[in-house]
Amino acid sequence: MSLQILLLVGLVLFSVAAVLLKDLIKAAICLAAASLVLGILFFRMGAPYAGAFEISVVAGLITVLFMLTIALTKTGGDVAESKLATVAFPLFFILFLAVDFIVTKNLIQKIVALPAAPEAGAFGEVLWKQRTLDLVGQVCIIFAGVLAVLALFRKRSKDNDD
Amino acid sequence: MTSTWVPYLIVAAGLLFAGIYCLLAMRNIIKLFIGVEIISKAVSLIIVATGFAKKNILVAQSLAVTFIVVEVCLVATALAIIINIYRHTKSLDIRKLSKLKG
Amino acid sequence: MVFLFVAVPLVVAGVLPLLGKLSKRVLPDILSNLTFLFLLVYAVTAGRQIIAGGPVNQQIIWFGEPVQILLGLDGLALFMLMAIALVSLCAGIFSIDYMEHHGAKANFYALFLVMVAGMNGLVLATDLFQVYLFLEVAAVASYALVAYGLGYDELEASFKYLLLSVVASAFVLIGVTVLFGLTGSLGFEAVGRGLQELQAGSTVALCAALFVAGFGLKAALIPFHAWLPDAHPSAPAPISAMLSGLLIKVSGIYALARIFFSVIGMTPFLSNLLMGLGVISAVVAALLALGQKDIKRMLAYSSISQVGYIVLGIGLGTPLGILGGLFHLFNHALAKGLLFLSSGSIQTATGTRNLDEMGGLAKRMPWTAATNLVGSLSIAGVPPLGGFWSKLVIIMALVQAGRWPYAVIAVLASVLTLWYYLLIQRKAFFGKLEERWKDIREAPFWMTAATVILALLCLGVGIFFAAVLKSWVQPAADVLSQGVTAMISRGR
Repeated sequence: MSLQILLLVGLVLFSVAAVLLKDLIKAAICLAAASLVLGILFFRMGAPYAGAFEISVVAGLITVLFMLTIALTKTGGDVAESKLATVAFPLFFILFLAVDFIVTKNLIQKIVALPAAPEAGAFGEVLWKQRTLDLVGQVCIIFAGVLAVLALFRKRSKDNDD
Repeated sequence: MTSTWVPYLIVAAGLLFAGIYCLLAMRNIIKLFIGVEIISKAVSLIIVATGFAKKNILVAQSLAVTFIVVEVCLVATALAIIINIYRHTKSLDIRKLSKLKG
Repeated sequence: MVFLFVAVPLVVAGVLPLLGKLSKRVLPDILSNLTFLFLLVYAVTAGRQIIAGGPVNQQIIWFGEPVQILLGLDGLALFMLMAIALVSLCAGIFSIDYMEHHGAKANFYALFLVMVAGMNGLVLATDLFQVYLFLEVAAVASYALVAYGLGYDELEASFKYLLLSVVASAFVLIGVTVLFGLTGSLGFEAVGRGLQELQAGSTVALCAALFVAGFGLKAALIPFHAWLPDAHPSAPAPISAMLSGLLIKVSGIYALARIFFSVIGMTPFLSNLLMGLGVISAVVAALLALGQKDIKRMLAYSSISQVGYIVLGIGLGTPLGILGGLFHLFNHALAKGLLFLSSGSIQTATGTRNLDEMGGLAKRMPWTAATNLVGSLSIAGVPPLGGFWSKLVIIMALVQAGRWPYAVIAVLASVLTLWYYLLIQRKAFFGKLEERWKDIREAPFWMTAATVILALLCLGVGIFFAAVLKSWVQPAADVLSQGVTAMISRGR
């Protein structure tokens, strides 16, 4: 359990670093590190598939996409962030966490929950048999993403006659 | 059930705050998008943590996996828009994008 | 086969980019519009047959194994499917001419079809998480469609829309997850029953707040409306019609209504909250619309205002209120779709959206002027057009429930609506014909045809409102009302 707490703290630290760092590439790397930590957390919670997905897709693929974008937009010069926002953030954050801690501790006692039905089957079965419409939805969203990128990067020719 | 849920909820709420703060306060549009990513992490943490606390981990995992797929497509579309914005204005500053008044 | 509603647009969307390499113009046009026509016909004919015996949950068999694709078709879902198919067909026909100069038409139609597939999936979903998933499908497709022209305005509007919409989706998903944590399941029925047993007031209130924020942002209720006046004008005209006419209602109002009535249960506090937000949106947006110079921006604020009306009716919770709200949803989808399409016609002919620059266009563009007039009068609530009847039902419902202040404000907002629509008519169409517009021509054939179809529908729904109410809107309203009484009878 203590390792979980440590990992959670690591997650928070990397995310805060990603917000505060000025250099975009370092911020993207901190984001990837946060995803890595999150993946390990998932694994320790008994969700190995989610952990593997998190690490390979979010820490891997999304970080690559970020790097690509940063590379393609490099010559614009740096955008200076407001000093006030950067300094105020840790203060607000710690304040929020304190309030959050107190509120959640108190609220959580009041939550009742139904006991869950015992789970049967393996992950693959659950994903393919029970939540098949989710897979259809995944196909839809992949179509949407691919078509969106194709549409947004299409060649603008001067005349569009056939 | 709830005692295992608590630390995850606290951290997820904190991440949510960090992400929304990033969206409100940052000027570089790629930084704004890092804020969106942090919000996504918070959401996937909540999903898996809820499943873990309820001993319902398989369903929660499939939800988390589907959510990650959605997130990837979203990131691809958003970065395509960002690159196009850069081509127009040669700058990544959100303050330059204030032609429309809302 | 209810699954066809989602599968057919998806498959055609997958095929279109490949076909687009072969034939840039004719084949994508025909194929996509045929798909919309199929959806409409299927909804009207086969759909009615399927639900003749009551709501249906279909389970599919794939490759010999039963897979869990549970799609729920009931009166409300069928009503929304019909509305979606109708407006998308007209927008699709309009795009035949309008999207000529944007390029890559096959890709445009493919994105359009994915958005329609997403909306259909949302309407047919029986599971909280799937509502979120198809919401995101339609949303991602719409981000790309708003930015389609790749102009500066469009990209800025699309980016801001994206940022706000992502936060909204995150809120919705967190709400769904908390409900999952409370009850251990995700299906509507199961969660509803579970919540009955639990009576966990404060946590459910938190979820309700998250849903109101998330879906309210998708529906552009005030104070969550900031993205709409930028996004809808900048998008290409058929996409503005789809967004204002359908997406804000399907992903905002429908999802909200479905979850609040059938899952969480409508409490008096929620009802008052929704009515308050609705009436504020109706009035404030109408006032903001008065000061606009850009015709599409004025129409966008009008959308926010009318969505306020719909939420007012549905939030009231009485059977008559729900009936009025749903009927107004349908009328507004038809009329606002029509108005955005005709603004696209104006933009094609004159190249401007600024009302001050237009004038006397009716002399050169009679068809556009006539259809625009029909659409404007319908939304403003002038008999015998459809909008009049739906607003009347909402106001009657408010009076019946004893909510006099709301009824009076609703009538006042209606007067404001009439005022700014008459402004559009006077500034754009009537009055003296400006010098520079004396050589413009009427809009191309398909664009005019699409607007004429919608105008005839507005007229038809208005004249035959009793028949439309009885056969389409009433079954839909019954589904929601039954959800309300079921909650009440289980001792909530």
